[in-house]
Amino acid sequence: MNTASPKHAKNAEAFLRDEENTDWHNETLWFVRSKRDRAAQSLPEWEELREQASQIKAHALSKLDDYLIQLEENARKNGIIVHWAANADEHNQIVLDIMRKHKATKIVKSKSMLTEECHLNPFLIKQGIEVIDTDLGERIIQLRNEPPSHIVMPAIHLKKKHIGDLFHLHLGTDAGADDPQYLTEAARIHLRQKFLLADLAITGVNFAIAETGGFVVCTNEGNADLGAHLAKVHIACMGIEKVIPKAEHLGVFLRLLARSATGQAVTTYSSHFRKPAPGQEMHLVLVDNGRTRQLASPDFRNSLKCIRCGACMNTCPVYRRSGGHSYHTAVAGPIGSILAPNIDMKEYADLPFASTLCGSCTNVCPVKIDIHQQLYKWRQVLGEAGVVEPAKKVGMSGMDVLFSRPWLYRFAGRAGRWLMQTFPTLANKASLNPWAIHRDMPKPPEQSFRDWYAQQNKKTNG
Amino acid sequence: MAEPTTRDTILAAIRQGKPDLLPLPATIGFPPNISAENLVESFMTMVKTNGGQAIRVASLAEARAFLAEDYDLTLPVLSHVEGLDISNFTPAEELRLLDTLHLFVLEGKVGVAENAAVWVDEAAIGIRALPFITLNLSIVLSEKNLVGNMHEAYRLIDTSTGFGTFIAGPSKTADIEQSLVIGAHGSKTLTVFLLP
Repeated sequence: MNTASPKHAKNAEAFLRDEENTDWHNETLWFVRSKRDRAAQSLPEWEELREQASQIKAHALSKLDDYLIQLEENARKNGIIVHWAANADEHNQIVLDIMRKHKATKIVKSKSMLTEECHLNPFLIKQGIEVIDTDLGERIIQLRNEPPSHIVMPAIHLKKKHIGDLFHLHLGTDAGADDPQYLTEAARIHLRQKFLLADLAITGVNFAIAETGGFVVCTNEGNADLGAHLAKVHIACMGIEKVIPKAEHLGVFLRLLARSATGQAVTTYSSHFRKPAPGQEMHLVLVDNGRTRQLASPDFRNSLKCIRCGACMNTCPVYRRSGGHSYHTAVAGPIGSILAPNIDMKEYADLPFASTLCGSCTNVCPVKIDIHQQLYKWRQVLGEAGVVEPAKKVGMSGMDVLFSRPWLYRFAGRAGRWLMQTFPTLANKASLNPWAIHRDMPKPPEQSFRDWYAQQNKKTNG
Repeated sequence: MAEPTTRDTILAAIRQGKPDLLPLPATIGFPPNISAENLVESFMTMVKTNGGQAIRVASLAEARAFLAEDYDLTLPVLSHVEGLDISNFTPAEELRLLDTLHLFVLEGKVGVAENAAVWVDEAAIGIRALPFITLNLSIVLSEKNLVGNMHEAYRLIDTSTGFGTFIAGPSKTADIEQSLVIGAHGSKTLTVFLLP
């Protein structure tokens, strides 16, 4: 059987080469995490609010079929055209067919991790369609031909100097200019033209409401609204897990979402779309793409509660120091490492290992997904499926032998201490000891804890 | 027999794999943390935190005076607020012509003190693009329509409208090195007038 290569570790190595940038990335995300903490602490009922959100999502998943049918029925009554897509290809084809029907050649998109997951942009571009991402961070990475490295802050891996150079090249800003205010203004002017000339707009969906047959899109920039209201056709694409029962439940989620994501009390715009505007056409595409498989797995179905706030990434010590691109999947970080192996077990077998299992992700998750436990569970599933990389597997079985034989463990400890004391350079040689690639081995202790403990025991008890 | 549709396949897979029915929480939401007498103050503080400005006025005439001070009212201005007659702009059918709009004033239905989000719906907005395409936005809101938190707001707003949105400040972004910049794609300023 084919096994996965350690892509995450290799990609992270490339990211870590720029030490200054790595430190900055780490500190910036920790800053956002700290803002999240302050926002959470401002609400005395924060923990109970998380509990409510988690229960609403659990309930919605346990009646997902009913709520999707209700959503579809009400949306149709409202004049929205509803589509169902089993996978990424079907989703992309539905979008393309709508475009063809309207002879649309220029489209504006607001951030949607689902369309990233489905690789919609390259698909449409191949068909000769101009696709413009309008979220500033998304536009930046689109000009760089890169995927987003974070679900809420897509260009978090870049510094303003990179963006200044990029805009100089593409938008004609002054060479060397890196003032965020100036660069944002240039992007505003550039994108305003795209909004005004677009034939069609695509947005994601933060929450769909079965009761009203409508959906909510949250942004700070207003790009989803500007796009959707100006174009003649609006296509909203959502994973089937985004449906919640009632509008009153939005009160719970909207209090959690922005606070968890950026530490804001709420996003600038929380727009409730329910009917197309006169003269416009509105489509809603419901996408499975592996979600029903995830639902059928008791171990992993909780991950479908995710509201895509990014809090787990901001707090993750591995994400902060390896960068989002090292995860080689649309949704990076802890939650992405649960979702991705469900789509392709072999391709993403490395990701559940890109975690310290410290549990910080679980602690900040606004809908109480047991993220680190699911990562741990994935490791076992992947191990049983035989898709874990060979070096890791050898190491694991070695440890299995070692830890299940106390005499061997004691011997190995003694041998190791002797070896490290006698040939210290050998233990730090990266070619022999991969652990030492980015670290120095600690100084070995004089004696083992076991020997020390026995000695102490003797001292006190005679 | 007809081939099963994607819809049927997805729904069948859900029925096959979904967990046993789990109940909704017995109660949804929480009472507000802000007392009735502090609603105005909290709301105004949060508008400022979000990058906008909030002004308490006794009348629409007073609001008009503030607007005349801050904005050039000879530029394209549109007001949907009855009694605040400063409009000199007639929206054309061609939506892209709205791009010249300098200031748009509309009426908010409900304001949330905890986060300064103001609900505006289609009846107040008119053409949906207006609050997003205008360079400057102003919302007039009665202090009587302030509530503590989002749970209370959802009890008051009408979610059966075609379109409605909570607006909580001017458009903003922090996508360039996490530096907060006000005025991304939507309005560059937001002024909320609180009337008695």
